[in-house]
Amino acid sequence: MTERDVYLDFAATSWPKPTPVLTAIQAWYQDVGVSASRGDSMRSQEVAAGVQDTRRRLARMCAMPPHRIAFTSGATDALNLALRGLLRPGDRVVTTATEHSSVVRPLTELRDPLGLDVRIIPCDASGSLDPADFERALAERPTRLVALSHASNVTGAVQDAAEIGRLARNHGALLLLDASQTAGARPIAVGADLVVASAHKALLGPPGLGFLAAAMDVDPAPTRFGGTGSSTALDRHPRDWPTAFEAGTPNTPAILGLGAALAWSESGEREALDETAARVVRELRGALEQLGSVRVVACPAGSPLPIVSFTHDALDAAEVGVLLDEAGIICRTGFHCAPWIHDAIGTASGGTVRLSAGPWVAEDAPQRVVEALAP
Amino acid sequence: MTDDAASDPRYSRQVRFAGFGREGQRRLASAHALLVGVGALGTHLASHLIRAGIGRLTLVDRDVVDASNLQRQILFDAEDARLGRAKASAAASRLLATRPDATIDAHAAEFDVDFYERLGARPDLLLDGTDNFATRYLINDLAVRDGIPWVHGGAVGSTGTGMTVLPGETPCLRCLMPSAPPTAETGSCETIGVLAPAVAHVAAFQAAESLKILGGRREAVTRGILHVDVWRGTHGIRMRDARPDPTCTTCGKREFPAIGVSSDDTVRLCGRDAIQVRPPAGTRLDLDALAARLALAGIPCERPGPVVRFETEDCRITVFAGGRALLFGIDDPMRARSLYDRWVGAR
Repeated sequence: MTERDVYLDFAATSWPKPTPVLTAIQAWYQDVGVSASRGDSMRSQEVAAGVQDTRRRLARMCAMPPHRIAFTSGATDALNLALRGLLRPGDRVVTTATEHSSVVRPLTELRDPLGLDVRIIPCDASGSLDPADFERALAERPTRLVALSHASNVTGAVQDAAEIGRLARNHGALLLLDASQTAGARPIAVGADLVVASAHKALLGPPGLGFLAAAMDVDPAPTRFGGTGSSTALDRHPRDWPTAFEAGTPNTPAILGLGAALAWSESGEREALDETAARVVRELRGALEQLGSVRVVACPAGSPLPIVSFTHDALDAAEVGVLLDEAGIICRTGFHCAPWIHDAIGTASGGTVRLSAGPWVAEDAPQRVVEALAP
Repeated sequence: MTDDAASDPRYSRQVRFAGFGREGQRRLASAHALLVGVGALGTHLASHLIRAGIGRLTLVDRDVVDASNLQRQILFDAEDARLGRAKASAAASRLLATRPDATIDAHAAEFDVDFYERLGARPDLLLDGTDNFATRYLINDLAVRDGIPWVHGGAVGSTGTGMTVLPGETPCLRCLMPSAPPTAETGSCETIGVLAPAVAHVAAFQAAESLKILGGRREAVTRGILHVDVWRGTHGIRMRDARPDPTCTTCGKREFPAIGVSSDDTVRLCGRDAIQVRPPAGTRLDLDALAARLALAGIPCERPGPVVRFETEDCRITVFAGGRALLFGIDDPMRARSLYDRWVGAR
């Protein structure tokens, strides 16, 4: 990145991060160095308090008890854990055409060995889902789990997760909410039984960290076993939350960095920055729609995330991506790890060019993009 | 074999040439050359060296035989092209039929630093049969670093150049040409064509230089740069008095920029049958010049934006002003680099 680069790949990973995040991570490397709950030193206990602080903040965000938050290496890790740990032979799973590969691929791996019945709810041309489709699917036969991406990472459509959760509950199904795109940007306490997110997107934390939150009566079977720093004389891995899911040395600096990001986000400074990002993307959408050579993917109803996807009449998405890159605009092109959505939004041939914004986005992004695409 | 090479009737006419003699033949029989690129120059050169009695020849080429090669790449036939055989192994089998006692190592591979380091024993000579300057600078830097002589050759249109580099003694490629212009602007065999006699002329020069070096007659090595034009009928050696440039990055400062360059300059596109090849940072291409070259070559190109897009060898190539290219319809990075080097050549 140079001064003049415009970063529009926020939906992949947020950048820049709030300064307190950098400070917290650097302070750990520089002055601390020890892991939480490893050894009895004062230093380790202080770190444990910091880790617990991050857990508490996440718990508030998810409306779950703090000890039901398990740190993972990312949302992918958490989704694998939830799907592998919960699904049993013959289970029925309802999921959606908007899912990310981190749901699509674990389900595909598990489908045949477990004989899963996977029902995929279609989306409309803006990537939005209709809760009525869930009601119909859930009425078809008993369903164990509804795996739902809270928002599409391709179109920004935010789904009515509260209503879908209510329907699932009525039919005795669990709701697994992939809040990777929404956590930090939208309320995620929508009554899901399990919530998953990564730290490095709208939560504004570092990469290499995610979490799984689960309601009190929902207990996936652990899938990995190892050192925990507790009960170390026992051969058997403890089964209590969150230790059951946290084998191995934790990513302490990332957890502390995420805690700093959450504290900063709660401070109130963020709201205006999010509003600016939303405005910049609205302007981007308007500017792109003015270009005769571009087809913009339909804007989702309601209040979508600051994401706009488009295709070009004469250029492949990948070609547009290089042109934008040469103009110092960093975006993402292709299928965005969401393999099932592109038929519905009409971009199956080459995917989309995706522009996504967040706090501190360059406000001249719309002009810069239009200049780069002008013939 | 070394002892009786000089008495082998196969080499009697060559041994009778006073400049080479029995000593030259004996030395050649125990010599090892590494030939990078087994195309037009490479097939001529390999044929000369194997027939002359070189002990060991290592061939490396990443390409497969195409019908358009047969006009000038003399070790291949129509069947090789039909089957799309790897050039290195197709050439090796033809060479072994000529001289079954030769040791020939054929590698269908990219010539990069890793390849060179994995070879183990250092060759006595490096030979340039490549079609791009990125590889030539790499050969140059490796040769100067390790003190191994190398012979450059290049041919395009009706013209050709050649030059021998004796590290520490004669100028290296970078002394005389600190950087190369992109192929997209100067033209390549693909865009402006090439005549086989121009290739043969340069390869003959390179082969003769090889015989002098490997036969132990370094004093006879040609100083300066060969320039030929078989159409105009001109032939000459320029810059006979050139000395190694003490300010040269490679042989003066002993920095070897090409050795540090990763060949990891391609990336597969997400979910697509396509590869992006990127040039060094700061590259700028004259897209109009590229479009003009393509037009001269009769290859239709589109300008659907500030890019040049054309199709060749079942691959759609989009070239950007910053020197990057997207190659659609292929999934092999080695093939992508080969096409890039031949058509765009800004690496």
